[in-house]
Amino acid sequence: MNMHKPLLPQGAELTHPPTRIKVYVSLILAFALTLLPWSETYRWLVPDFTLMALLYWNIRAPRLAGLGAAFGFGLLSDVARGVLIGLNALAFCAATFVVLLVQRRLAGFDATRQTLQLAPILLGKELLVLAIGLAIGRGMVDWRWLAAGVVATLLWSPLAWLVDRITGRASAAVGQQASY
Amino acid sequence: MSPAPSAPLFIREMGLPARFSLYVLVCLFLLALDARYSTLFGLRAGLNAIIHPAQMVLAQPWEWLQNVGHFFVGHGELVAENTRLKQQQDILGASVREHAAVAKENAQLRALLALPPRPGFNTLTGEVIEAAPNPFTRKVIINRGSSQGVVAGVPVVDAIGLVGQVTRVYAWTAEVTLLTDRDQGAPVQNLRNGLRSIVSGQGSDNQLEVRFLDMHADLQPGDLLYTSGIDGVYPAGVPVARVIKVEQPRHTPFARALCQPLGGVGKYRHVVILVPAETAAKPTTKILAPAKSPGARP
Repeated sequence: MNMHKPLLPQGAELTHPPTRIKVYVSLILAFALTLLPWSETYRWLVPDFTLMALLYWNIRAPRLAGLGAAFGFGLLSDVARGVLIGLNALAFCAATFVVLLVQRRLAGFDATRQTLQLAPILLGKELLVLAIGLAIGRGMVDWRWLAAGVVATLLWSPLAWLVDRITGRASAAVGQQASY
Repeated sequence: MSPAPSAPLFIREMGLPARFSLYVLVCLFLLALDARYSTLFGLRAGLNAIIHPAQMVLAQPWEWLQNVGHFFVGHGELVAENTRLKQQQDILGASVREHAAVAKENAQLRALLALPPRPGFNTLTGEVIEAAPNPFTRKVIINRGSSQGVVAGVPVVDAIGLVGQVTRVYAWTAEVTLLTDRDQGAPVQNLRNGLRSIVSGQGSDNQLEVRFLDMHADLQPGDLLYTSGIDGVYPAGVPVARVIKVEQPRHTPFARALCQPLGGVGKYRHVVILVPAETAAKPTTKILAPAKSPGARP
């Protein structure tokens, strides 16, 4: 854990704070990623980018994203995936709720160290979707789809690093390191 | 977290657990509505109208890339494909001629039996644009919708056999539930002896089954199952499946037969939608079989 993390935002984090526009544009882009025509052969490996973006912003700026965004994008996901309406919405809300509960702890870690803590949440979401599907009686379940959670966990650190850089948080970190 | 500049000093809102439970309740309500009743179709169609154009735009670069890829296909591959297609055309031509003869004979036989003619179907070719990314069901989305006259319930076939049934219709797209879907079934007739049964999907890609088969039913491996047409949905005589194995009953009073679909269920890019010629002139012209043996399964 970064013990030198300042209590108040400094540097680029202060001059380029996360805004509602940044949050929603990145959420829409992440959702568009899931809409790409992924081939049927590796479709089950494609992580839920929308959920990853939601969790990212809920850790970094919980006042801007939140349960409402999770619910809305969950409904969109449901329709895009053709599953029962409310299935992904419920999973997104649950994941967001857990992240918001431990948000202060997660915000203290950098992206790499968050990975291990987010793994159960990302995997749990896929498990929850499959479990609810089973409970409602959709018949056989293709358990391969759990792999999407594993891929999401593996991709968390590079993607969070990338979004940090794009939204102007990284230069703050560089500035802090220079000042130590 | 760093408070945003516009954040109020004191927050007046429900606590996190309260808000979460509210959302969970709404989600469960929606789930129950969607699973048990089909009242959410409007919501789904509305959201789909937002998502579909975006999906089309996002798929475009992929298609261009694929076209560029096709351009560089090797010459040898093209020659091989050409020969294969020519052979296939010969075979198909032969079978079409055969079919014409059979159709003529069939018409005569029908006239002989004074059976009402099967309602005509208009064919409409559609392209599979997407397989629904859903681990529970086997469904594909095709690029024909209510604007082209597709209605829910019409059968979908390919060059070889039955593929599935249109289950949801949007303006420009439609959702086809494949034969392999667990909830999908088709009434069939054994070509060899006319035994009627219902073939259902198993949820696996390349297997169908006949559930609850009579213990002494005359069904053997290798038998071909064709649609019987008695349901008024599927036209009669469309190839559906070949029987692979008949499992004798062990713990139940019923046998079970495993079959393999004949049509390319979930394999091909193009499908044919059979839209009834005029829905008005189709007063469920069920070919009423003159009460066969009571033991015959529907």
